[in-house]
Amino acid sequence: MNKVSRTSRSKLLAFGASLMLGVSTLATAPAWAAGLVIGSSTEPSAVDPLFSRTGNNQNLAMQVFDRLVVQDENLQLHPGIAKSWETTGPMTWLVHLRDDVTFHDGNKLTADDIIYSLDRAKNVPNSPAPFTGNVAAIDSMKALDPYTIEFTTKAPTPDFIEQIGLVYMLEKKVAEGASIEDYNSGKAAVGTGPYKFKEWVPGDHVTLVRNDAYWDKKAAYDTVTIKFISNDAARVAALLSGSVQLIDAVSPVDVTKLSGTAGIKVHSTSSTRIIYMALDSSRDTSPFITDLDGKPLTPNPLKNAKVRLALSKLINRDGIVDRILSGAGQTAGQLVPEGIGGYVPDLKAESYDVDGAKKLLADAGYPKGFGITIHSSNDRFPGDGEVAQAIGQMFARGGLKVNGVVTQPYNVYASAAGKQEFSAFIFSLGNTTPTAITGLRNLLMTKNKEAGTGGFNRVQYSNPVFDNLMQDVLTEFDTNTRMTAVQNATRTVMQDTPFLPLYWQKVYWASKDDVTYIANKSEDTSAYFASPAK
Amino acid sequence: MTVFIIRRLMQALLVLFVTSLIVFLGVYAIGNPIDILVPDDATEMERQQAIHSLGLDRPLPVQYGTFLLHALHGDLGTSFVFNQPSISLILDRLPATLELAFVALFLAIVIGMPLGIIAGLKPGSRFDEGVMTTSILGFSLPNFWQGMMLIMIFSVWLGWLPSTGRGQMGSFLGIHSSLFTLDGLAHLILPAINLSLFKISLIIRLTRTGVRETMLLDFVKFARARGVPETRIVVVHVLKNILIPIVTVVGMEFGSIIAFAVVTETIFAWPGVGKLLIDAVMRLDRPVVVAYILVVVAMFITINFVVDLIYSLLDPRIRLGGAK
Repeated sequence: MNKVSRTSRSKLLAFGASLMLGVSTLATAPAWAAGLVIGSSTEPSAVDPLFSRTGNNQNLAMQVFDRLVVQDENLQLHPGIAKSWETTGPMTWLVHLRDDVTFHDGNKLTADDIIYSLDRAKNVPNSPAPFTGNVAAIDSMKALDPYTIEFTTKAPTPDFIEQIGLVYMLEKKVAEGASIEDYNSGKAAVGTGPYKFKEWVPGDHVTLVRNDAYWDKKAAYDTVTIKFISNDAARVAALLSGSVQLIDAVSPVDVTKLSGTAGIKVHSTSSTRIIYMALDSSRDTSPFITDLDGKPLTPNPLKNAKVRLALSKLINRDGIVDRILSGAGQTAGQLVPEGIGGYVPDLKAESYDVDGAKKLLADAGYPKGFGITIHSSNDRFPGDGEVAQAIGQMFARGGLKVNGVVTQPYNVYASAAGKQEFSAFIFSLGNTTPTAITGLRNLLMTKNKEAGTGGFNRVQYSNPVFDNLMQDVLTEFDTNTRMTAVQNATRTVMQDTPFLPLYWQKVYWASKDDVTYIANKSEDTSAYFASPAK
Repeated sequence: MTVFIIRRLMQALLVLFVTSLIVFLGVYAIGNPIDILVPDDATEMERQQAIHSLGLDRPLPVQYGTFLLHALHGDLGTSFVFNQPSISLILDRLPATLELAFVALFLAIVIGMPLGIIAGLKPGSRFDEGVMTTSILGFSLPNFWQGMMLIMIFSVWLGWLPSTGRGQMGSFLGIHSSLFTLDGLAHLILPAINLSLFKISLIIRLTRTGVRETMLLDFVKFARARGVPETRIVVVHVLKNILIPIVTVVGMEFGSIIAFAVVTETIFAWPGVGKLLIDAVMRLDRPVVVAYILVVVAMFITINFVVDLIYSLLDPRIRLGGAK
């Protein structure tokens, strides 16, 4: 569907951008206003930090509000307004707060504010993406003194701090009874973060000013203006013309050219967002798997682990990253990249091996292959439609009969994928936690609404051995033992090739020479990570 | 006249009802917004909570019925994404789009009509050919590409004009607009030109054709024979005769500028309603999509009504009303 228009549009974009880059050396010297101006591709939907957990809202929230812990550019946690914590029993935790944290209105942050915020997190009216999961483990909370809180949990929860630590803290006095308009207007947007919220003009910009009373290192800029520029080429133009000093979501096509432009720096890191192919491996018949004559094929060959491994070997991941993504990816052989807890160093990306794949297919009883249709979105992340096309050709080269490659807009595609309407389809999964646990739980554990596992297990994959190993992970308190357990579980499940990891997306920011930006794995665009270049 | 207005109102209500039904079902058919709204690391519980709080767990007829009931009380629903009344989201951004549309249309008329009249009076002349050739560019170059070129030349290369946002706003007679500050005007120029180029070409062509046809008619000859000055013939008599098609087209184009300024708004990061709509469609924010389309339909109905009134002023032979 819609493939032609998408391709031509992205070409047009690339053409527009390259034309502008061609003349960029002639750009006149820009005059900055004092402070930092950011051109951001996304806009928050609300200022209330607990309204939505999605990235665009977090970008703003992390500048104005604090969390119990601080998350660094590799998603690892450090003490924040909670200076330390300990367990006093399997289900009780003591959290000690800093006593020098003040809100933007001058009031001190105390245990009451924390308890209020954690309590409110699950009761935000009409929230499309609440923090409920982060506070679900809490059974009760009690302030022992203004700077110590005792928590009891419903069950032993080793990663308790990772869960509650990511909730933003509000001032009880200001936030009680505040409506969403009160936050958007700034009245209730009172945090303890490095910047104070000044105004939000929807569709246009957000303005922040420095919090001079910040408890940690003071913010680098007096004022920060975040302009919302959703169009890729327009964002690049704004950077070149000097109307902004920092932009995010630079497309791979523009990266090559911007790196060669005087006065511009590109900042990049490989993100934790994995692009993968999901395989409909649990059902006896799959809607888009056919025999060589185009008739439905039973049993479904994707149920066979050998076939899944063969498909993985047919994908030339290096080729995809080099040719289609201009290098904007890192080939993947598991869910999370290095640096995230639970990463297994010896699980490399499956190497490209057509002969090996053909042998596996023959062993599995499909010497002549079978028919398959590949599905993908075409507007979700850079190159999604093209990657699907390429994999289609690779499968055909390996002897499969590729009946088609269908790409759809994400809003149509996402729902259909969730209803098991596809057989082999490309999806992405971001990870914002310090370990692989959340991702493994949501993508690969058996779907179970009550237990809250398998939320994004769209193909209903089920591996009891892996499920058991994960149960051990979820109840292990010792961090080192827990990480080893995650690695074990990952090794076990990957042997079964439950899905085909393709690559981790690289993310790019570009700035003028006078701005330094810490490229972060959480894909956050925030003044928190920016500072003047020395 | 009264009968005419009442009949129009009845029609308008019917159209609005049918539109709401079609759009509501259409957005529902595309997919489930929850798949787009929840973050990647959401737990199943969070997902269920969100589905429930947005009312997506109720049967479709109930959802539509609730919408209709609220709509009759003037509430067109609350945005899934912003948790604000969709109508106020739209009205907050409408002024930015209206401002852009008015300036673009103004440019189209003051540039397009004179050029079209002169070209029509001297067909085949060098001026005529020049204008006509240039206007082909206005038609055929994609709006998107024109916008990029404007940014490239005037912002990146020459550095004269800003390329994004609405700039500073001033206030005059209680109206907030970027028309009232220098910074605001500077921000307005490029997007307004981008939006008006196509309309200028359209008006040039309409005017030129009208002038050429009308200049050959008998009444022009008689006027000349009576010794009416040429300027008066053109400005008063000819112009009055060619205005009807122009008013029709300008009316419709005004509607389409407001409703579909999205390309320009996206390129220039203009905080108008077009962008709101596109984002809403991508995220399946049904209340905003439905409310937006209802507002646009209401706007087209009003514009058509006004155009009909203007007809009757321009040409007394045209009568409004139901009485045959």
